[in-house]
Amino acid sequence: MSVRHAILGLLAQKPRHGYELRSAFEALIGGEQNWEVKPAQIYTTLSRLEESGLVAEAAIEQDGGPEKHIFDITPAGREELGDWFEGAVEEVHQRDEFYLKLMLSINDEFADPYAVIHVQRSSLFRDLHGLTTQRQALNGMENLAQILLLDKAVMHLEADLRWLDMVEGRLDEIRSHPPPEPETRPRGRPKKS
Amino acid sequence: MSIVETKELTKVYGSGDTALTALNHVSIHIQAGEFVAIMGPSGCGKSTLLHLVGGLDRATSGGVMIEGHNLSDLNDTRLAELRRRKIGFVFQFFNLIPVLNALENAALPLLLDGVPLKAAQKKAAEWLDRVGLSDRHTHRPSQLSGGQQQRVAIARALVSEPAIILADEPTGNLDTHAADEIVGLLRQVSSQWGRAVVMVTHDPRIAAYADRIIFLKDGVMVNETRLEAGALPAQ
Amino acid sequence: MNIQWILALRYLNGRKLRTFLTTLAVVFGVLVIFGMNIMLPTLLKTFQATMLAASNEVDLTVSHRAGTPFNNSVLDEVRAVEGVRVAQGLVSRPLNLPADFFDQDPTQQDRISVLTMVGLDPALASQMRAYLMDQGRFLQEGDTGVCLISVTMADTLGLQLGDTLQLPTAQGLTNLEIVGILPPRMAPGNEEVLVPVSDAQYLLEMEGKFSSVEANFNTTAEDERAAIEQAVSSRLGSEYQLGALSSASEIFGTLQIAQNAFNVIGALALFMGAFIIFNTFRTLIAERRRDIGMLRAVGASRRMITGIILTEGLIQGIVGTLTGMVLGYLLVELLMGIATPLLGNFMNVQLQKPVVTLSIVLISSALGIGVTLLAGLLPAFSAGRVTPLEALRPSTNGKLARRMFGASAITGIILIALSLAALFSGQPALATPGALIFIAGLILIAPALVRPIALGFGALFSRLLAREGTGFVAQGNLTRQPERVAVTASTSMIALAIIVVVAGMATTIEETFMRVLRESLGSDYLFIPPSVGIWANNIGADASFADELRAIDGVGAVTSMRFSSAVADVLPQFTKGQSASTDGVAVSMMGIDPHSFPEVGGLEFTQGDPEVAYAALNDERTLIGNGVFMSSTGLKVGDTVPLITPNGTVNYRVVAAAGDFLNIKLITAYISHANMEKDFGKTEDVFLQLNLAPGADQPTVETAIKQVRQNYPQFNMINGKAYYEQMSGLMRMAFSSMYFVFLFLAIPSLIAMINTLAIGVIERTREIGMIRAVGATQKQIRKIVLVEALLLAAVGVAFGLLGGLYLGYVTTNSLGTVGFPVEYYFPWSGLLAAIAVGLIFGALASIIPARQAARLDIIEALRYE
Ligand SMILES: Nc1ncnc2c1ncn2[C@@H]1O[C@H](COP(=O)(O)OP(=O)(O)OP(=O)(O)O)[C@@H](O)[C@H]1O
Ligand SMILES: [Mg+2]
Repeated sequence: MSVRHAILGLLAQKPRHGYELRSAFEALIGGEQNWEVKPAQIYTTLSRLEESGLVAEAAIEQDGGPEKHIFDITPAGREELGDWFEGAVEEVHQRDEFYLKLMLSINDEFADPYAVIHVQRSSLFRDLHGLTTQRQALNGMENLAQILLLDKAVMHLEADLRWLDMVEGRLDEIRSHPPPEPETRPRGRPKKS
Repeated sequence: MSIVETKELTKVYGSGDTALTALNHVSIHIQAGEFVAIMGPSGCGKSTLLHLVGGLDRATSGGVMIEGHNLSDLNDTRLAELRRRKIGFVFQFFNLIPVLNALENAALPLLLDGVPLKAAQKKAAEWLDRVGLSDRHTHRPSQLSGGQQQRVAIARALVSEPAIILADEPTGNLDTHAADEIVGLLRQVSSQWGRAVVMVTHDPRIAAYADRIIFLKDGVMVNETRLEAGALPAQ
Repeated sequence: MNIQWILALRYLNGRKLRTFLTTLAVVFGVLVIFGMNIMLPTLLKTFQATMLAASNEVDLTVSHRAGTPFNNSVLDEVRAVEGVRVAQGLVSRPLNLPADFFDQDPTQQDRISVLTMVGLDPALASQMRAYLMDQGRFLQEGDTGVCLISVTMADTLGLQLGDTLQLPTAQGLTNLEIVGILPPRMAPGNEEVLVPVSDAQYLLEMEGKFSSVEANFNTTAEDERAAIEQAVSSRLGSEYQLGALSSASEIFGTLQIAQNAFNVIGALALFMGAFIIFNTFRTLIAERRRDIGMLRAVGASRRMITGIILTEGLIQGIVGTLTGMVLGYLLVELLMGIATPLLGNFMNVQLQKPVVTLSIVLISSALGIGVTLLAGLLPAFSAGRVTPLEALRPSTNGKLARRMFGASAITGIILIALSLAALFSGQPALATPGALIFIAGLILIAPALVRPIALGFGALFSRLLAREGTGFVAQGNLTRQPERVAVTASTSMIALAIIVVVAGMATTIEETFMRVLRESLGSDYLFIPPSVGIWANNIGADASFADELRAIDGVGAVTSMRFSSAVADVLPQFTKGQSASTDGVAVSMMGIDPHSFPEVGGLEFTQGDPEVAYAALNDERTLIGNGVFMSSTGLKVGDTVPLITPNGTVNYRVVAAAGDFLNIKLITAYISHANMEKDFGKTEDVFLQLNLAPGADQPTVETAIKQVRQNYPQFNMINGKAYYEQMSGLMRMAFSSMYFVFLFLAIPSLIAMINTLAIGVIERTREIGMIRAVGATQKQIRKIVLVEALLLAAVGVAFGLLGGLYLGYVTTNSLGTVGFPVEYYFPWSGLLAAIAVGLIFGALASIIPARQAARLDIIEALRYE
């Protein structure tokens, strides 16, 4: 739900209209290639926030074009933002699609887990390549914030790639074990047939 | 046309019971200006491949073609000449001549090729400037940091304007920052100066700078990943 | 300037210390080669002259068949013959003295009735044989009106140094000032008065004439000598007869062995010089393997690498060679400068200025520069051959080296086996190559032996230095790099081997010669007739003289010799220098007392058992023949020889071959007094020897003996001990030249050891930095280097002793093949000296490198490539 909080945070800086919010978000994240947010998503989120009373329309601006609704954060919104700052961001590391794919491919006679790994690796490398290219274009003085974001991604990718290497190295070992099966009988109870 | 091409390249060390196949029928193509990384677990034959491509060693079977010349047709002197003119080397350990200063080290291939001292030094100075060492020309290797030494090595590799740069773990001894700089430089070598760069590395981050990654395992080329859209090598 | 020069100069300039040390190795190598070779001829001459003096012989004597003086142009003829090293013309004529010439007393029997005046060339004579002086000086160029006499003659006539000797000559009574007194005259012949040859020619009215010409050759090779004799003979024609030094004689054997020894030493000098250079350079190149590999990788062709090394080698070779030759010359000058006055104190022998010939300069340069280049080229070639890759991979070096070790160890074993075969073949010609092969073999197996030896000594040292905990590091350093150790150890090995060889050889020759002398002349007092050689002319004494002597309190044993001439009725073997008549061989028969003779004097046996032989003399008609007897009659032990005696022909059996010093030149057979009386009717003692009883008071007894001798003025009395001491002084002088050689070789080679150690430290600069970095103190580093040096020295000593013993044995053993009764004396002194010198120098050698290592800046050391 970070877009929600990002909007709150940006509005806490100063009141903005929807288009301004999107540009600010993009600047923060370092471009739409990093985290693309559609204008519609901004507007729906805004209206939801308004419904919850976290933001409020402050003014309507009109200089020739269509009118722009400028929003501002409400005290309830500040409170919500404060809660967000105080809490940790929860990330679900284990919910890994590639893992599922790989494990299932191991026991699927039509799939080749090595190929699965290769495809994933190539993809990760391509991402990494893109990130490094992007990162190289950035200036360490002006774009430090974005560089830090890219570095995070780079590091995660590196870790993923290393993990892939590790998995590949132990694939045969995993194969030799029986595939994980649900436990058919709870621990400690006599078997009922 | 591929600038480097290996055909069923095989290298066996030793013989009899102790024979070890370091490279097993490896065929690769490298285009001019391409930046290729070679990856694989330790001992899989990366360095061996690089050495064979660079004409530092002879293949057991199969061949290496550099700009259409088969290396196995060349005698030792011709091979040396080829290394001097067509190939630049960058190694993990900096391999500079300790008694020569940065400028002279960079000028070495030209000097070996008989280019007059002044002209060679002028050219070497240009390359040192390009790799960002304009203020270190007269330093000896022992007076330079690892990253700086590696830049000298790159300048040396580039000075004779070779078509191919071969780098064996060029960042292996450097910290992340220096490694990024060196590999960035190598990328520049390929993208800006149009040289083919073949780089061996263990570091995925470093490899990701390349246009293409070749994966070796137990002397066999197992995979290949193209990172940058571009014409696929003619197979 | 091309890259070869740039790199060469940079390497030389960038590593100043190492360049200096490497060049130093070249300097020492050349110094040894050059110095040794300009010194050897002079030393050999000195040695020859001394040995000849000790035996009173020369290589060749030319006289007129008619015995008449001849024109002095003959001397030039002889000199013109190739192979004649030095020749002098002599004038000699017996001077028959009028009755009572000296004592003016008709009642007293004349002690000296005939003298020989000998004119010799003051400058040349001392080049031919050394003259040991008892007092005063030898004749000098430009001398006139002076003479030299022997101490026996001076005693007899009551003359002293500075007195005037009056002689009747062709120019009437002539006064000669006695400027020098020679040792007692032991050699056969009349008492001699030595004067400058020009004086003699004038006094004897022999202007422009010589009575004989003496020459020494520049070789001891038998066939060459024969050729020289032949050349002299054909040049002079049949009117002249030649007497040559018999190749069967002991002196000749000694000379030959000396020549062999000098040859071996010269060859060793060459070998060692080359080796020092080679090793140092090889270390240098081995160290630069990576650089070479890198150059190859960036496109240097094999030829370029060779070019760089060549350029570097050339520069160092030329600088080192020139310096080495200059220093070599200066060192020789210095040694000679020290030696000449030292020797001059004892005898008249002139050491010539070292001779620098073009060929020596060329050979030294060729070796200095050539070996340097070769030493650089071989590793550079091998570096080129193993592809740039292997040079870049330090890890594969070990494997390669180990493979090479195996091969070289096997080659080494083969070489040693070959050299042992050469030893047992007994061929003197094989001695020198055999020795070199042996050394080469040792060097080759050295790397394989380093580990066990280093481990053995290492255990010892680490126990000694247990507290430090550094012993094992040093030991580890050694076993980890056996090749480098072997290289360093081999240098000291050769140096030490030379010490042992020279000591062994000197000891053996000296001991052997002195033993002969001691056993022949070892009695305390000798009573010698004025003319030893011509026994027949001597008036002897009957048994009463011996009895009177025996009766003196404090006199132990007395023994005598009796003389008769005989002819052995055998076909004479043609031997050079012996008159070849067809009527049998003239033999001088010496009667001895088989009981007392061995106690007092004794013979030097070459064949047969002394006890059996002496016993047989008494029991039957048997004889003991000396060397000349055996060779001129061609008889062997066990043969029977018919002897023509005044009482007809009788058969004698030869029971042994043995001789004494006095009769060394004469065809002599020894029989018992009993047989002498029975077959020759002689009971007259012509020579007596006496030993004091144990614990006798020497001065008192000597006075008593002198008293008795008053009545037997036909005998000169000689103190045997004094004489022996004088002779051994002479011998020691002869061997002092050997010790100069020894010094000459040992000093530079030991400095080379320091050099190698220092290079070893430089080579490991980085490693030492590492050890320092992990917390070793300066003291520990110093200890490590010291222990390493000691271990190195120990390895070197072990090899050096092996090599030295073998070489010494080989060289002295070749003496046996020329018939010299040689026993191998185990060179304890040399051995101990070598061990002491090796270890002390090892410790000394470590001082500078240890300090250097300890003071290394850690950061610098770690960055050092
Ligand atoms: N000179 C040689 N003799 C024998 N075997 C060799 C030699 N050089 C390399 N090898 C072997 O060949 C194989 C490949 O070596 P290579 O140096 O090419 O590996 P690598 O992929 O570069 O490894 P790393 O990543 O550790 O540098 C290894 O098993 C190595 O032991
Ligand atoms: Mg490698």
